[in-house]
Amino acid sequence: MSQEQKKKITPQSIFLIGNPNSGKTSLFNAVTGERHHVGNWPGVTVERLEGVTHTKNGDIQITDLPGTYSLTPATPEEGVVLTAIDEAAHGTVLNVVDSTNLIRNMFLTTQLIEIGINPVISFNCYDSFTQQGGKIDLQKFSNLTGCEIYPTVGRTGKGVPALVEYLGKRDISEITAKASSALSLPEKWLKTAKEAIKLDNLRWETATATQRYNAINSLCKPTKDNPKLEEIRKRLCEELSAEKGKKVTPSTLACDLAEDRYHRIERMVKVCATVPEKSIPEGQQKIDKFLVHKYLGIPIFAALMYFVFWTTFTIGQYPMDWLEALVNLLAAWVGGFMSDGILKELVVEGVIKSVGQVIVFLPNILILFFWIVLLEDSGYMSRAAFIIDRTMKSMGLQGRAFIPMVMGIGCNVPAIMATRIIDSKFQRMLTMFLVPLVSCSARLPVFILLCGTFFPENPTIWMFVLYVIDLIVLMFLGHFISILSNRVEDSPFLLEMPPYRIPTPKSVWNMLKEKAMHFIEKAGTVVLAGSILVWALQSFPIIKDEELSFDYVGQKTVIEAPFLAKKAEIEKSKLTDKEKEEKLAEIDSQIEDATSEINFKKNEEKTERSYLGRLGKFMHPAFAPLGFSWKETVTLIPGFFAKESLVSTLAVLYQTEEDSDEEGAEAKNIENRKKLAVAMGKNGMTPLKAFVYMLFTLLYVPCIATVGILWKESGSTKFTIFSLFAYFGLAYIISLITLKVGEIIAARGSNGAQEAAVVIIALIAAWVLLSRLINGLKGKTSAVGCGCGCEGCNKCVNKRDKR
Amino acid sequence: MQNISLAELPEGKTGVITSIDTTSPTAQRLLDLGFVPGTQIKAMKRAPMGDPTTFEIRGYQLGLRRSESEIVEVEI
Repeated sequence: MSQEQKKKITPQSIFLIGNPNSGKTSLFNAVTGERHHVGNWPGVTVERLEGVTHTKNGDIQITDLPGTYSLTPATPEEGVVLTAIDEAAHGTVLNVVDSTNLIRNMFLTTQLIEIGINPVISFNCYDSFTQQGGKIDLQKFSNLTGCEIYPTVGRTGKGVPALVEYLGKRDISEITAKASSALSLPEKWLKTAKEAIKLDNLRWETATATQRYNAINSLCKPTKDNPKLEEIRKRLCEELSAEKGKKVTPSTLACDLAEDRYHRIERMVKVCATVPEKSIPEGQQKIDKFLVHKYLGIPIFAALMYFVFWTTFTIGQYPMDWLEALVNLLAAWVGGFMSDGILKELVVEGVIKSVGQVIVFLPNILILFFWIVLLEDSGYMSRAAFIIDRTMKSMGLQGRAFIPMVMGIGCNVPAIMATRIIDSKFQRMLTMFLVPLVSCSARLPVFILLCGTFFPENPTIWMFVLYVIDLIVLMFLGHFISILSNRVEDSPFLLEMPPYRIPTPKSVWNMLKEKAMHFIEKAGTVVLAGSILVWALQSFPIIKDEELSFDYVGQKTVIEAPFLAKKAEIEKSKLTDKEKEEKLAEIDSQIEDATSEINFKKNEEKTERSYLGRLGKFMHPAFAPLGFSWKETVTLIPGFFAKESLVSTLAVLYQTEEDSDEEGAEAKNIENRKKLAVAMGKNGMTPLKAFVYMLFTLLYVPCIATVGILWKESGSTKFTIFSLFAYFGLAYIISLITLKVGEIIAARGSNGAQEAAVVIIALIAAWVLLSRLINGLKGKTSAVGCGCGCEGCNKCVNKRDKR
Repeated sequence: MQNISLAELPEGKTGVITSIDTTSPTAQRLLDLGFVPGTQIKAMKRAPMGDPTTFEIRGYQLGLRRSESEIVEVEI
C-alpha cells in the first residue's frame, strides 16, 4: 500500500464485514441512505461497494465487502475480504452480526479479534432477536469482548443513527483489539503463533493483520517443506493434549482451533446473553414441508418458473412492442425534419433504430428481476436451488444456475444478468459462458422458417433434434470445463436456508432501478456501437441507382406505366370518392406485386455490393466446408447483430418475402417458403445443409447485445474474447461433424422420419459415450488430486492459504 | 451408539458430530460454520432427487451435497 493511500484510511473509513445474509447490504443502504452510489455488482469487477455518508462529526466512507462466514476463503470473492483486511485494520471494521444466529456469526468476530482488530459490532436483526425471546446485556458483552456494540435493524434503519454518530467520532486508539478480550487467542495458541511468525522473520507485535492470520493458519495446515513449523505444530499438540486430557494430533489442530473458538464464544455468550432456545421457527418448517416436499416440490418449482418465464417473455412482449412502436414514431418524426440523404439514414436507421435495439430489452429485464428480487428476498431462491441442484449438477453447475439457464431460452441478455444470483465466482463464470449457447427466442424464427422450408412434413421433429443437440452440448461442455479446471470438489456447495421474509417494496424498487441503469449504462453503449457498425456495413459504400448494373428504376417505370395510366383514368372518372379509393388501392397492390421482383433484384445487388456483401464473400471460403454458399455466409454478419435478422437477410438475398404475422397470411407464408426452398435449392442448399446451417446459427456467436452484457458482467475482456472464439470453434466443429455424418446417412437413402429416428438414436449413443468419457476424466483428475502437480494453479484452498 | 457418516444420517434423525476429515478441502469451511465435535446436528430434509440434504445445526439450516456431508462423522 502506498503512503498516500495509507493516509486516506482513518477510523472514519468503515469496512463492513459479516456473514452472507446477515443484512450487511441493507445496513449499508440504511447508513449511506440516498447518497450511496453503487459502483458495480459486488463480486464482479469492483468486488466491493463504496459509499459516503455525512455525520455531524464529518464524513465517513463505507466499503461493503462480500459476505463471508470466515476469514479463510472458500471462494475467490471471500478472498476479497482477506485482501482488504490490512487496509481495514487501519480504519474501522464494522462487523455485522445477525443476532438471530449469534454464535455462528461471532466466529468471524473471533477471528478478527484474534488478529488484533477491534471491530465495532452491529447486532443486526435485533428486533427478530428480541421477539424470539433473546436477551442480551450489551454493557457486559461490550466489556467482555472489548468491542463497541450497537443493536440495529437494517431493514427499517432502527439503531442506525446512533451507530453512525459513533462511527463519526471513533478514535484511532480504539481500532486495536484489547488483549483482555474474552475472544482473544488462548495463551498456548498465541505463544505458538508468535513462534511461527518468527520463522518468517516477523514479530507478532508489528506484523500486519494478514501476516498474523497467516501465522495462525499455518499452524492448522500440514506442511511438508517446513520442518521447523512442523516441530512447532507438534509441540503445540503436546501442550494441548496435556491441557485438555485428550489426544490432539497435528492433523486435528484445525479442528481443535475451531472447537476452541466456538467454546470461547459459547462461554462468553452464556455469561451475558440469553439466546432463545433456537431451533428453526415453526412457520418456516411448515412452509418448507410444502415447498420442498418430496413430490410437490418440483411441480411447485416448475410452475413458478413457468410463471416467471411467461410473464417475462409473453407479457413482456407488450411493452416491447410499445417501445418499438415508439421508436418507430420517433424515427418518423425526426426523419420528417430532415431531407433525404446519408445523414438522415444515419440518424434514423443508424442511431435511433439502434437505440431502440437497446431499450427494447428493458421490459424483459425489469420483469425478470422483479421476480428474482421477490424469490431471493423471500428466501425461496435457496429452496429452489436445493430442489434442482441434482439436475444442474449434471451440467457441472449448481442449483442457482437454473434460473439463468432457463431464462436463456427467452433471451440471453437478462439471463446473463441473472447469473448475479450465483454466489460462487467460478460457477458464475461457467454459467455465463454457457448461457449464450442456450437457444434464445430470437433464434426461433430462423428455425421456424428453415424447418418449415426444408422439412415441410415434420418441422417440429427437426426443431426438437436441434434442441436436443443443444442440450447435449451444454451438458457436456459444463461438465468438461468443471472437470478440466478441477473445481468440482474444490468449491464447496453450502446452501444456507434463510428464514422466510416478506420483501420490502424499497428493496425491490432499488434493485429494479439499479438493474435498468446498469443495463443502459454498461451494455447499452456496446450494443449501440455494434448496431451502428452493422448498419454502416450494410449501407456503405453508397451505390446510386444509376451505378447499378441494370437500370432497375427505368424498368420499374416501364412496368408501372400502364398501372399509372389506369390510375389517372380512375381519377378522372365520375365514380364516387369511396369507389375511387377502393379501385386505387387495388391498383396500388397490383403495382406492388408487379414490381416486387425488380425491387428484390435491386436490393440483392445492393447487398451484394455493400461492404457486408463483400465481407461475406471474403469469408465464404472458410464456410464452404460446411456447405454454405456466400449468401448464407453473408447472413451470419447481421445475425451477429440480432439473430432474427438472419431471416430478413435471407429474404433479401433469396428474393422472397418475409413471413407475415397478419391474419390469413398462413397460405401466403407457405407459398413464400416454397419459393425460398426452390431459390435456396437452386443455390445448392439441401435439407441436410439447411440443418447444418441452423445448427451453426444456434451456436456460432451470440448477438451483439449478449456479447456486450457478457463483457460487462464478467468484467473480463479476455474471458469475453475467449468465449467468442470457443463458441465459434464449437459451432464449426459440431456443424462439420453433423454434415459429414448426415452425408453418410443420406447416401444410404431413407425418408425424413427414419432419418430423424436415426439422428435421435445417434444422439443418445453420443450422450452415453460422452458421459462415460466424463466419468473417466473425473476418475483421473481426482486421482491426481490437489496438492501435487498443480503448482501453477492458484485455485485450490490449500495452496492459497500457504504463504 | 454407533458412528456413521453424516451423509447416512436418516431424515429427521439427530446425531452428534464426533470427527471431521481434515484432509478434505471442505473441512475448514465446515469447521468455521460450527461443525465441530460435540455439536448436535439433525438431518432435516432430502431434496426430491435424493441429494442434497438440509441439516439443522446451531439453530440454522444448511444444505450440503453428499460429497460434503460424507466427510463428517456423527454418533447416533
